Amino acid sequence: MSGTGTHQLSISINGRHENFDVEPRSTLAELLREQAGLTGTKIGCEQGSCGACTILFDGEQVRSCLMFAVQAADSEVWTIEGLASPPPENQTSPTPLAGLPELAEAFKRNHALQCGFCTPGMLIAGTLIGEACGGAINEERVKEGLSGNICRCTGYQGIVQSVVEVFELKTSNPAAEKPQ
Amino acid sequence: MTGSNETFKEVLRFEDDALLNGSRRFIDDLEPRGTLHIAMARSPVAHARLASIDIAKSSSMPGVHTVLTGEDISRHSTPTPIGWEHIADQRRTESLAMATSTVRYVGHIVAAVVAETRAIAEDAVDAIEIDYDLLPAVMDVDAAREPNAPILHSSWPDNVLATDQQTSGDGRSALKSAHTIVDLELDIGRAFGCPLETRGVIADWGLQNQAGSQRSGSVGRLIVDLNSQSPNRVREVLSQVLGVSVSDLLVRVPAIGGGFGAKANYYGEEIITCIASKVCGRPVKYIEDRSESFVATSHARDAKMSVSIGADGDGSIVAFRSDVVGTLGGEVSSVGMGPIWVSTRAGTGSYQIPNADITTTGVMTNRTPFGSFRGWGSPIANFAIERAIDALADRLSIDPIDLRLKNMVRPEQMPFQNGLGWRLDSGDYPEALRRTLKSVTQAGWFDEVTDATSNGRFVGIGLVNFIEATGVGNSRKMGRLPMEQGGFDEAVVRMDSTGTVQVFTGQTGMGQGIETTLAQVCATALGANVNDVRVVFGDTDSCPYTGYGTGGCRTAPVAASSVMLASQDLQGQVLEMAASLLNLDEAELTISNSAVSGPTGEKVTFADIGTAAYRKLNRLPEHHSPTLQARYVWDPVDRTIGYGSIAVMVEVCADTGLVSVLRYHAVDDCGYVINPAIVDGQVMGGFVQVLGSTLMEELRYDEDGNPLTTTFRDYLVPLAGDVPEMTVEHMETLPPDVPSGSKGVGEAGTMAAMSAIAQAVEHALPGGYGWIRSIPLSPELLLHHIDAATP
Repeated sequence: MSGTGTHQLSISINGRHENFDVEPRSTLAELLREQAGLTGTKIGCEQGSCGACTILFDGEQVRSCLMFAVQAADSEVWTIEGLASPPPENQTSPTPLAGLPELAEAFKRNHALQCGFCTPGMLIAGTLIGEACGGAINEERVKEGLSGNICRCTGYQGIVQSVVEVFELKTSNPAAEKPQ
Repeated sequence: MTGSNETFKEVLRFEDDALLNGSRRFIDDLEPRGTLHIAMARSPVAHARLASIDIAKSSSMPGVHTVLTGEDISRHSTPTPIGWEHIADQRRTESLAMATSTVRYVGHIVAAVVAETRAIAEDAVDAIEIDYDLLPAVMDVDAAREPNAPILHSSWPDNVLATDQQTSGDGRSALKSAHTIVDLELDIGRAFGCPLETRGVIADWGLQNQAGSQRSGSVGRLIVDLNSQSPNRVREVLSQVLGVSVSDLLVRVPAIGGGFGAKANYYGEEIITCIASKVCGRPVKYIEDRSESFVATSHARDAKMSVSIGADGDGSIVAFRSDVVGTLGGEVSSVGMGPIWVSTRAGTGSYQIPNADITTTGVMTNRTPFGSFRGWGSPIANFAIERAIDALADRLSIDPIDLRLKNMVRPEQMPFQNGLGWRLDSGDYPEALRRTLKSVTQAGWFDEVTDATSNGRFVGIGLVNFIEATGVGNSRKMGRLPMEQGGFDEAVVRMDSTGTVQVFTGQTGMGQGIETTLAQVCATALGANVNDVRVVFGDTDSCPYTGYGTGGCRTAPVAASSVMLASQDLQGQVLEMAASLLNLDEAELTISNSAVSGPTGEKVTFADIGTAAYRKLNRLPEHHSPTLQARYVWDPVDRTIGYGSIAVMVEVCADTGLVSVLRYHAVDDCGYVINPAIVDGQVMGGFVQVLGSTLMEELRYDEDGNPLTTTFRDYLVPLAGDVPEMTVEHMETLPPDVPSGSKGVGEAGTMAAMSAIAQAVEHALPGGYGWIRSIPLSPELLLHHIDAATP
């Protein structure tokens, strides 16, 4: 339509390989939401400032609004839909960010979400910072790690508390993950 | 019969699971098959006459369906009504949803393109050729009131939308005889709600629907999905401007990504998108992008205030005057100058002041229209009275807390008429302040300040009061104002054949958890297990009518009351059927946890009762009607006024002048607390928003009217590292006229944030109290103050 043609590419999304035809100007966020139908990735600014579109891209935290879809060819992408839900039975590779479902539970317990629009990005960023901190997690490090994610509702207290709580527990007491 | 005492206070939110796994649908997650996309062409200049618009090139681009201009909009719609047209002699603009001959702010819509994709629509917007004949931009209220100022709306004699005045006692003349008088000039910057999800609307007025509109059948209708806090209000406005009956309009609301008042206003884009759908015969979708949101979503606050306070030598306040001038935009938003006007009612805050005189004036400028933002005008009113008291305390050398305690409305005076038209209905205001002081003292705040000060740091504490008017009503009183809007709320509660209960409400969820809190209210009143209750909202066909929508803190005092009263009615019906099924007298029954029990262990569950009411009527005697449903309309007697006190601890950096808020503690009385976690979340979240507009956020313009803040890199909302440790404590005074026992609380956190931070900064620095006069606090001002005050 725009005279520049489309590109074919293959991406692994949430553990499954999929093929897409994309316009060169489409962002990865648009591909995920409009072509892959994964609307859990939110678009809050399209300027790379708010973090609502955060995804896991080849193991790294990426703002999907700042990346062209064609740049994602042959990559491995995980979105909130794949990360938050139990893996399907036929899924061969393990789901990354194993701590995310637990962080989601802590969000619920600590009232760390209100409208929920920032939540998918916040959970992904929060899990990554939590895992990266290892045993040295504290509020200051979590706040710094989340400084690229805007929440306009909660005032962040429950979010920060949840990340500290979940990953402090994981690192200080590995046995706590599996009772007995 | 005894009711259930289960209150389910600690229940976790029912909203959360679908939000945590990304499956909940927001407006941009919806798209009917065949949807076209609309992009708005917006004025790049602040004030100009539209000399010409050439859409030929744009219209002929591949993928473009139509290009709409003001002419098309005037053919298909009438001027947008103002919801808050409540002041006598308030002027009208008769403006349409799109500019027709004059643009009055950067961002004013001048044309719209409908195309196959949003990207094509945006390309085609760039191809529209528009000539503007520039007019001088009027950017502030002083310039706008100069005798020779350019007039924004040519049918007006000046740029003033309206002026309102409220006096009590001897008004400002009482100031003259006061022992001590302090005058202050205050200035509050422009901020806005800025929800993380921008605004969006999908209108489906397709061919099939239009054909039907010729008949009286059920197909001829306009279906509008949008993220509005006020679906019924939008439905009525669209009905009025598009000439469609209310019943031929279906308005639906999906999950909303934050509202904060910004989505309580209705907007031109909604009308334009409906017209676009009508013209194209296809569903049309508009999603505001972030840059647009900074010029297209209602701005707020932005006021100058000239304040005087007078007191006796012992600190008894005898008079208060405030002249408030609000900087409105180039067009009038759906709330008119309501947020400015609030000062005329809220002006004296938590205090008993026998003489008051408050004037509010709304002045048009070439800025984005001015509208709602959480707190409306009350944080501004709070800043005026609390600042005045701080300055007075400084002048009289009285401790600011002592001066407040001396002048606060006392519990034995309740209900207290504030003389400006508001009835402060209940509570113990001084106790909230004393508790706040006690809590932060016990928590070691003052020791911390002493330590910090001895180490050369600038750390201080601010402690102020607030009131918060919630649940506006009564409908007849509102109807006597020149506005067409009621304050009542209708609820329908229905039990199905499995014993599950649905609560249908006209309120809207936007993050504040009404699917949980209204379920709690219903379960408690009905005797159901809270897990058996579902809350349904956001569909004007199936959900009842709430004209006002969700704003002004209505859910807890108003909607919860109608839900509670409907649930009690339903409980009566359930008990009647249970008595028949159990062959017992109703008086012998107890109802709880979704079951009804007799004195000796006889029991029927709600599922048994539901089955009988819908599917096995033979189990019930003839006098029972099938189905289980109750409806109640609650019209509030009056506003109910929440209140409280807050304390903040701040540190001022001596090198940069930047302020960090280190701690926050609130004592809040919103009556009966339905769900403590949700209430605390509202208080803390509201505080952090205004922390933002006190220290970081400001919508700015250059002198030609170009906006300087159009991204999150210029408009700095608080991030995780900017917020303090926060704690909230509750008092629970039940208001006398509110069945639910609750006052609203969604805006409580916003009320006193500016005032508390200002006072804390003054406490941290040398130089006494009352010298901070403008918000946001500028680091330059503080550095200058530090330099001047320290040798």
